[in-house]
Amino acid sequence: MILYPAIDLKDGQCVRVLHGVLDTATVFNSSPADQAQQWANAGFPWIHVVDLNGAVEGKAVNADAVEAILEAVSVPVQLGGGIRTLADMERWIDKGVSRVILGTVAVREPQIVVEAARRWPEQIAVSVDVRGGKVAVQGWTEDSDLDAVTVAKRFEDAGVAALIITDIERDGALTGFNVDVFGAMADAVDIPVIAAGGLASVADIEKLRARKGRPIAGAVLGRALYTGAIQPGEAIKAAA
Amino acid sequence: MQTVALIDYGSGNLRSAQNALERVAAASPGGARIAVTSDPEVVAKADRIVLPGVGAFAACRNALMARTGVVEAMTEAVQDRGVPFLGVCVGMQLLATRGLEFGETPGLDWIGGEVRRLEPASPTCKVPHMGWNAVEDLSPAGGGLGLDPGAAMYFTHSFAFHAADPADVAAWTDHGGRFAAAVARGNVAGVQFHPEKSQSAGLSLLARFLEWRP
Repeated sequence: MILYPAIDLKDGQCVRVLHGVLDTATVFNSSPADQAQQWANAGFPWIHVVDLNGAVEGKAVNADAVEAILEAVSVPVQLGGGIRTLADMERWIDKGVSRVILGTVAVREPQIVVEAARRWPEQIAVSVDVRGGKVAVQGWTEDSDLDAVTVAKRFEDAGVAALIITDIERDGALTGFNVDVFGAMADAVDIPVIAAGGLASVADIEKLRARKGRPIAGAVLGRALYTGAIQPGEAIKAAA
Repeated sequence: MQTVALIDYGSGNLRSAQNALERVAAASPGGARIAVTSDPEVVAKADRIVLPGVGAFAACRNALMARTGVVEAMTEAVQDRGVPFLGVCVGMQLLATRGLEFGETPGLDWIGGEVRRLEPASPTCKVPHMGWNAVEDLSPAGGGLGLDPGAAMYFTHSFAFHAADPADVAAWTDHGGRFAAAVARGNVAGVQFHPEKSQSAGLSLLARFLEWRP
């Protein structure tokens, strides 16, 4: 299982937020590039970057910070938040983003995701952000009336690299997480699933791995990594 | 101080390769100046050459040929002066005799072989292949390049180098079937993976390349 340390960007800084609400942000590092480099140096094979302002505004807001991360790290980077058009995707892929994450556009204009995956196969990930069983959009400020599996199923044959499933109710809350949210998706949809939201300990990584059924391909680590509740070395060992 | 020519022929963004080389150069005992260049005079005088490449074989080859004098300068440096050379991704594939992506395109033919589409035996192995894979079954040249058996490297490609002489394969990996992760013959080496995105294992390969005396 691949672990993705998360760099969430708000106003140029690396923050953690609770349930996706920007006002709850705690700044963990004023230099996101330094932070990304620290995680890469700790041995994580990918970096997961989210432009939180961008997700809400529907366009890149923290582009400078993202570019600084791309220059600083020697591991692949996946980027989400505010990427809505093919031109946005092309720009980031040209700049060296290895995988582009689409959320809002996947709900509102799924044909754009299909076209993107055709142009850049295995370089497009779909973020399905679940709250109360329904998919949230626009930086989680709005709910759609679609359930997660319905949204994910649209992309089964499109060549999408991964589904990033976020359990919004547990994200940033460190209350332990619900394996079933991710497991149900992994079993229902034939796209690799990356679990996000609420991983609080190495034991949670072990739970994901111990689960029966189709394996979970990866997990995004957020607050628990920043608070030290999860130690990088132990986490990487547990995921290997 | 030695100069490493990182060939800029318009094939994708070179920043991450440049940054990775600069980082390892700063830490290397002899140091190195990284020249991002398409100037044949710079290439001709370089102490080492790195040829990157992203995209399709034919497009990269055509873009490289369009930089007047660059291939000639590279060839003279590599073949007459024995300058150490590293091709990365499509830059590695261009070392082959020919590529079979969008028809047949001649390569540099520095290491005999063909570049053909990956055809994984298992449906779970997708094409393009994008991800971390361990390099294994190293040849002595692979060891000389600083590769470690079992080290995970980051790959992103749809085509692979089929060497005419298996002895030219410096390291293998597996994605629904074995293919060359690295090739080497004399002072010419190429890696299918992206060392600049392969964290410490990739950086140590680049660091070793700066010291490589084939």
